[in-house]
Amino acid sequence: MDKRQVRNNIRKLRFHNNEMTQEQLAEKVGVTRQTIIAIEGAKYSPSLELAFRIALVFGVPLGDVFSYDAEDDFNQPIDKIS
Amino acid sequence: MSYQEKNITVSLVSYLLIAGYYLVNLLQMLREGELVANKLFGLCTIVILATIIVNIIASILTNIVLTIVEAIKAQKYEEPRFIADERDQSIELKGIHSSYITFSLGVLVSVLTFAFGQPPLVMVSMIVFFAILAEIIGDIAQIYLYRRGF
Repeated sequence: MDKRQVRNNIRKLRFHNNEMTQEQLAEKVGVTRQTIIAIEGAKYSPSLELAFRIALVFGVPLGDVFSYDAEDDFNQPIDKIS
Repeated sequence: MSYQEKNITVSLVSYLLIAGYYLVNLLQMLREGELVANKLFGLCTIVILATIIVNIIASILTNIVLTIVEAIKAQKYEEPRFIADERDQSIELKGIHSSYITFSLGVLVSVLTFAFGQPPLVMVSMIVFFAILAEIIGDIAQIYLYRRGF
């Protein structure tokens, strides 16, 4: 299973929100800039709480920020999905 | 490099120095055939105390130096934001996990040497060595995770 299935539009949303910097977003959601970089690069999947906080900053539903590519999961038995 | 990475690097350097000091003294004892209880426990006490003191001092100094450097960069004093967020905590947890695995294996190896006829002092010296090594492995694991992204 591909570990990087949680995709995000943070970079695009930042651009559409007055070109918000990673530092500004990090300050608003209470994490470090490195964490925002890791989330944007799909290297780190945030907790549900942090994901909601990011969505709140942009004023959009959670689904508009994060998406989950579950295509591979639907093709295998439920007990194989980790 | 983030604040956490700098702090871990300082911790890693201090553990490497302590490990070096311990190994040099231990090998000297072995070479001179003076691996006796009072000398070994004396060395262990120094190493344990040094680990605690050096880490506290290194942590305080790192904080002070980083605050000064940040203030110079920003040309004014700003309240430092040395926060540890959820990713930092996850990385720390993985580092602790690596440390525990290393230490567990080390204790197992040490006990096995005792079981195979080595004197108990060899076992004790190996356990102390693996305790320091575990911290080094934990720090390296954390630095690796920070460099990789997570």
